[in-house]
Amino acid sequence: MSVRLVLTAMATAARRNTSDRSGVLVNAVFYVVVASVLSALWRAAAEANGGEIAGYTMVAITWYALAAEAATVSLNMRTIELICDDIASGAVESELLRPAPVLGVRISMAVGAALPRLALCVAVAAVLGPIVGGAPPSTAGVALAMPALVLAVTCNLVAQHAVASMAFWARDVRAIWFLYQKIVFVLGGMILPLQVLPDDLERAAMVLPFMTMAYVPSRLASGHVEPELLLLQLAWLAVLLVAAHAAFGAGERRLQVVGG
Amino acid sequence: MTETVIATRSLSKSFAARGRTVEAVRDISFEVERGERLAYIGPNGAGKSTSIKILTGILHPTSGDASVLGLVPWRDRRRLTMRIGTLFGQRSQLWFELTPRQSFRMLAAVYRMDADIAARRVAELGELLDATELFDVPARTHSLGQRMRCELAACLLHGPEIVFLDEPTIGLDLLAKQRFRELLVHLNESAGITIFLTSHDVADIEHVARRAIVINHGAVIHDADVASMRRTLLSRKLIEVTFADEVPAPMLSGVDVIAHTGTTLELAVDTAVRSVRDVLDDVLGERRVIDITVLDPPLEAVIAEIYQS
Amino acid sequence: MSPVLATMRTAFAEAWSNRAAFWTQVTAIVLNDVVWIVFWILFFRRVGPMRGWDRNSVLVLLAVLATGCGFTFGILANARRIGWFAADGDLDAALALPVSPLAHLLVRRVDSVHLGDIGFGVVLFLAVGDPTPARLAVFLFGVAVSIAVMTGFLVLTGSMAFFTGRTTMADMGFNAMMILSSYPVDIFVGASKVLLYSVVPAAFIAAVPARLIGDPGLGDAVALVVAAVVFSGAGWAAFTLGLRRYTSGAAWTRA
Repeated sequence: MSVRLVLTAMATAARRNTSDRSGVLVNAVFYVVVASVLSALWRAAAEANGGEIAGYTMVAITWYALAAEAATVSLNMRTIELICDDIASGAVESELLRPAPVLGVRISMAVGAALPRLALCVAVAAVLGPIVGGAPPSTAGVALAMPALVLAVTCNLVAQHAVASMAFWARDVRAIWFLYQKIVFVLGGMILPLQVLPDDLERAAMVLPFMTMAYVPSRLASGHVEPELLLLQLAWLAVLLVAAHAAFGAGERRLQVVGG
Repeated sequence: MTETVIATRSLSKSFAARGRTVEAVRDISFEVERGERLAYIGPNGAGKSTSIKILTGILHPTSGDASVLGLVPWRDRRRLTMRIGTLFGQRSQLWFELTPRQSFRMLAAVYRMDADIAARRVAELGELLDATELFDVPARTHSLGQRMRCELAACLLHGPEIVFLDEPTIGLDLLAKQRFRELLVHLNESAGITIFLTSHDVADIEHVARRAIVINHGAVIHDADVASMRRTLLSRKLIEVTFADEVPAPMLSGVDVIAHTGTTLELAVDTAVRSVRDVLDDVLGERRVIDITVLDPPLEAVIAEIYQS
Repeated sequence: MSPVLATMRTAFAEAWSNRAAFWTQVTAIVLNDVVWIVFWILFFRRVGPMRGWDRNSVLVLLAVLATGCGFTFGILANARRIGWFAADGDLDAALALPVSPLAHLLVRRVDSVHLGDIGFGVVLFLAVGDPTPARLAVFLFGVAVSIAVMTGFLVLTGSMAFFTGRTTMADMGFNAMMILSSYPVDIFVGASKVLLYSVVPAAFIAAVPARLIGDPGLGDAVALVVAAVVFSGAGWAAFTLGLRRYTSGAAWTRA
């Protein structure tokens, strides 16, 4: 798939998303609400524990929450459901009529759609964060969190495409998006820092790909300058791309042999 | 000199459905020459969409061979799609929330077209399809007829050699259908694009195609040029007349009485033997008429005719 | 049988007709709810009691929320779609029937995916809520208020689409309501806490009912009744005004 096609697909989707002004507003308000709630919860938790929880100060945990919510709010967590619907309706079949890899175009467009939302969340966080929790614990951490957020969103979307490929084989798997979302919430570090989990579960979460989707950028933004986490994201992204390519490709071949 | 652009040989496709095997396409063989306008017709469930999916590479056949522009569709799908265009009436190539022009930019990247060439092509298509003013408003605001013109532009953007159209006029009003058919004929005559059209609308055969392949229950049951088909098969007309008073059934050559209920007559007229005008002159005479309808025979009747002949 | 009950029965029959999908969806939502329990257990294991809330009281909150949401999104499934109907001009079918349009719309559709929430919520309460007859009665009262407030709020925000032609308010209202009602209200302080008792009545949806179960008091009970009346009334009024606009032809519709 050419670079030009990737960039065009991303730009097309980004334009489509930003043209819906009311959708942009809803997203911004939603981000403010969820980020405020999560940071309030964890600040209250830190306060109840002498000012610190699981190694995060009240300021650190605020920035953790802001980054975690930015990573998840900027993409549509129901992407799995939408892909399943497109597979069931035959829309994916029609995409086979173009001389471009279906999965590649879809992922590019999904990432393109998410990036303007991510940018908006980051802009809102830049204003909200200092008001609610104070200045970020580390500028280096925040700087590293930027590419980490882009990688987090990309890993999440690629994984959702891999999971949604089940729809090539089974009907009524749309509801799986609920489960996927909750796994990302807990094992991805979206609603709690992974250090809060019991030791065994924390160790398991650290070796699963979900931690790339919220924990990594959040960890960096909360002042823990661990650049090796970015490499981990890149490695997982490669694995997830291979998995999605294999699953979607098998699904397309099944479509061609068995029909829609 | 003609060139074969589509060739199928004993093409078959079966599906497993709820424990039994459904033969969607059975032993289909035909060839299409470059520049032909072909209507591939049949009732719902006849196997038209399955055939077109095989020819465009979306579906593998169970057995048999096919080649489109010298390529095996299901093996060389990516290369084939660079040279064919597709328009499915029920599916859109355009992105709903974007303007068509923005969708064309995306498609230009998909088909690896040079941006300047693509822009020139969009301008040409806009003029040809009389759709330029539609290209800069979001697709979701278009009427169906307007959308289909933009879809046609999307399908032609990369200069395909063959255009596959699956029920493209479905849902269009009469005027829009007529206009669409005229466009297809024009594209074929001016640019030499081969037209492969599936439809269950008889008017699509009459106004677009020079040749028709009739398919039913997955098999080809008739393959002939439209002119001869019209002469031998579509030469029937149905006339329904309601009179104010009771009338006897007419005894005329070339006219079959399908129904007669005292004041109403339903007649099937073989226009090769006797014209509709003559029949009406004889039947109506000086009688008082309440209602009169002249109909083409339904497609099912045409196909039944093909079975019997 | 009243038209409303007949419609509800038909909606159930429709949801029940695809058994495989029904059970898949119910299972998914139950698993989804289990994950929330896991989260709160992990949270309080690490944090301990916090601002008057502990693990058990939050699980009771979850029980009220799940049961209330299950009923609102499962049985009154169109409550969250009022905005879409108004924006798309899709009320004609309901208006053509000899029934109250709002009541008919609310019961017209059953979303089986949320029916699992109802069972889950009740079982959760029975497991962790120390279900004495008195507490059970308060639980049911709290769930009834939760349903009334949620439905009223969704209809209120959805009805804004009659006037604006867009579902923006409905989307924002739904999202805010769902997120804010899932947490113990006392984690918020000051102005934001006031918001949760007024603009987005999230406090009345689960936190206050859960507090009432744990610590019965007249103040909370009266507040819940008032909230239920105010928000159901506001929803009904907004819908009625909006409908008048719709039927006059002045309402916005999408091209």
